[in-house]
Amino acid sequence: MMESKRGMHQLDLARIQSQTRRHFLGWGTGGLGAFFLNSALAKSPSHLAGENAPLDFTRNPATPLSVLPPEFAAKVKRVIYLHMGGSPSQLELFDYKPTLARFHGHDCPESFLKGKRFAFIQGVPKLLGPMFPFHRAGKSGTWISDRLPHLEKAIDDLCVIKSMKTDQFNHAPAQLLVHTGDARTGHASLGSWVTYGLGSENQNLPGFIVLISNGGTTANAGKPLWGSGFLPSVYQGVSCRSAGEPVLYLDNPKSVSRAERRQVLDAVDEINRQSYDEFGNPETVTRIAQYEMAFRMQLEASDAMDIRREPKAVLERYGAEPGKTSYANNCLVARRLAERGVRFIQLYHWGWDSHGTPVDKGLNVGLVGRCKETDQPTAALLADLKARGLLEDTLVVWGGEFGRTPMWENRGGQEMEFIGRDHHPNCFTMWLAGGGIKKGISHGETDDMGYDIARNPVEIRDLHATMLYLLGFDYRRLNYPYQGLDQKLTGVKPARIVSEILA
Amino acid sequence: MSGRLSASAYFCSVALLTLAGFALAMFVRPAFGHSMLQWMGLESVPQAEARSFYATRVSPLFETHCISCHGEKRQKAGLRLDSYAALLRGSKHGAVIRPGEARNSELFMRIDLPASDARAMPPSGKTPLTPDDVTVIRLWIAQGASGVRRTIPGAPQPVPEVKIPEDAPALTEKLRTPLAAQVRKVQREHPGILAYQSRNSAWLEVNASLRGAAFGDAQLQALAPLRARIVQVDISGSSVTDASAPFLAGMPSLQVLRLGGSRITNATLVALEQSKSLRSLTIGDIQTGEDTLASLRKKHIAIFGGAGVP
Repeated sequence: MMESKRGMHQLDLARIQSQTRRHFLGWGTGGLGAFFLNSALAKSPSHLAGENAPLDFTRNPATPLSVLPPEFAAKVKRVIYLHMGGSPSQLELFDYKPTLARFHGHDCPESFLKGKRFAFIQGVPKLLGPMFPFHRAGKSGTWISDRLPHLEKAIDDLCVIKSMKTDQFNHAPAQLLVHTGDARTGHASLGSWVTYGLGSENQNLPGFIVLISNGGTTANAGKPLWGSGFLPSVYQGVSCRSAGEPVLYLDNPKSVSRAERRQVLDAVDEINRQSYDEFGNPETVTRIAQYEMAFRMQLEASDAMDIRREPKAVLERYGAEPGKTSYANNCLVARRLAERGVRFIQLYHWGWDSHGTPVDKGLNVGLVGRCKETDQPTAALLADLKARGLLEDTLVVWGGEFGRTPMWENRGGQEMEFIGRDHHPNCFTMWLAGGGIKKGISHGETDDMGYDIARNPVEIRDLHATMLYLLGFDYRRLNYPYQGLDQKLTGVKPARIVSEILA
Repeated sequence: MSGRLSASAYFCSVALLTLAGFALAMFVRPAFGHSMLQWMGLESVPQAEARSFYATRVSPLFETHCISCHGEKRQKAGLRLDSYAALLRGSKHGAVIRPGEARNSELFMRIDLPASDARAMPPSGKTPLTPDDVTVIRLWIAQGASGVRRTIPGAPQPVPEVKIPEDAPALTEKLRTPLAAQVRKVQREHPGILAYQSRNSAWLEVNASLRGAAFGDAQLQALAPLRARIVQVDISGSSVTDASAPFLAGMPSLQVLRLGGSRITNATLVALEQSKSLRSLTIGDIQTGEDTLASLRKKHIAIFGGAGVP
């Protein structure tokens, strides 16, 4: 009790110390006048709240992930974000361009190239029509290629956004933009904002879990993609392994029993508490809480991520194989984590960067492989969530970090042996499913060549604003004061909630 | 030159010159003329009807994108766009719209400029108009800039805008107060089960799915004092049985119920047919009678789960 009071005092002190001269000068000029107007106009308290009135996110530092209610009634309580790293080709999956098909093999028009910068294309490439046949699927008649036969069965639950746009054409900054709202490092990721704002229902598991398949342990942009940036570090994503121990060294060494581990932890806690008594840093209290969570995780995380406990029929539906690391395993783990109250689950699957160099990155080889790896498990995840009534209040997001060009990539100006497309920030496709989203619709259109957006552009920050709205937040009020600015996920430019896709 | 003109002659010439000046001003600046006539009460102030296309489609665009600089607080270039009369009056440079001629209207020319042009309106930094917004304004001007017409053929459909609910702390406090003590009691004794739906709500949500078998009929029915305010119950995997059927069926505000993996059977589902508020039900692998599911679906209750879901 005394500790938390002291903790609060220290937090206040830290907050006061962070107000710089800049703040004082800024407020001073308006302050007195504002006081007078306030009393003169005497409006009701709700009018004083304003669109950026801060919400209170203070918590007991010993339970940093405790649940806080959203600002207003939320449509979804958790997010499962499926990131297709490298960026899947929208022209081979969702964005049907028959006109582009007619111009296949022609030289790319100069208007597409003049004044533009590409990641790898040089000179004049050829236009590349869709590599796979398209058809209309489901009752909604949404266009889809033949590469995703399983997902097609769920097409009437999806909202396909074909007019996403970004301003980054390289992987790392584009991934940072998609996941942290800014193309430079240092900003808090989506999952961090969400767990900061809402906490997590299960205090025995991290609130933000990351699962990676097909390509090592880190993304192009690295761990900042699920980092906490300027938010307290407790809100960062925890990257878990889906084979073996969920987190390396989570389990005790073979010679150490759980009781012995408890003794060690008690001793460490004692030392930390002495440190806290001396220095009063609330991060120490949080550190103690994290050690305790790791101790609880030894039991619960292993259970949550152990897919051997699932019936054979479920494993087959996902195509999951216990003991391996695969996207299918990760999808099944994602469902188990969703059931267990984890707030934000992020899956990364790499290898979609279909430049055509080398063969396994080609559209006709690599893309085919990636679709085979992800199609069935994604569809199984959606069906499973739906059957458990969880899809109603879960938001599922699928997409990459930019699109791919309608031109055949010619790296170094040379014609390529394998077929690929370069990075294309102008337009790309993502889809959403779950609570609060209109089912079976397409939003936005690109032009006949698939080069630019023709209708309803959606910026990344618009997508973020919409996600936060579904989670029950005004994107302007989920903010955190840092470097003299109330930092927001959506950044400083105004964002628009994409009302057309809301149910 | 005193003494040359009589007082009345002097007065008449000044009056004539003044009237001539006014006439010239009205000729050169019709907008000024209209303002004068309206001020003198000789002309009625143009008003748009409340259900006209202007009021429902055009005026909201000005309100969102323009009146921060062209309204009550500020009148850049002497232009106000916060009323139909002000719009017709124009700026200090003249009329901004020519009814019937969109492309010759200064207002349209400015909003049609590419964003990179320095004279584009709204200026950079302000929320831009979408192409559909510009089309709406163009069509409205082109078809006469009427304050009466209700529909303009060819105008794009309006996009629904999201209304973020406003904080209402006093009202929320008032609604929460009667049961606040009981809510706190439950949150103390069984942490993590009971929560308000949002910061601005007095509705409650129950989530016992992480408790497992430790949560049973006794724990559920201990929530009886709060039952009228509960909108969502998740007792998946709990040890709640059919003994709680009357309790669940009798909750007047219950909308979402998850029962999968509990010890509930079809008997409770039959009882739930009495519920007037239920709209979503997750049943897991409960063995159900076909007619039970059918009659629940007839009440527009979404049912999730069913045979084969572990």
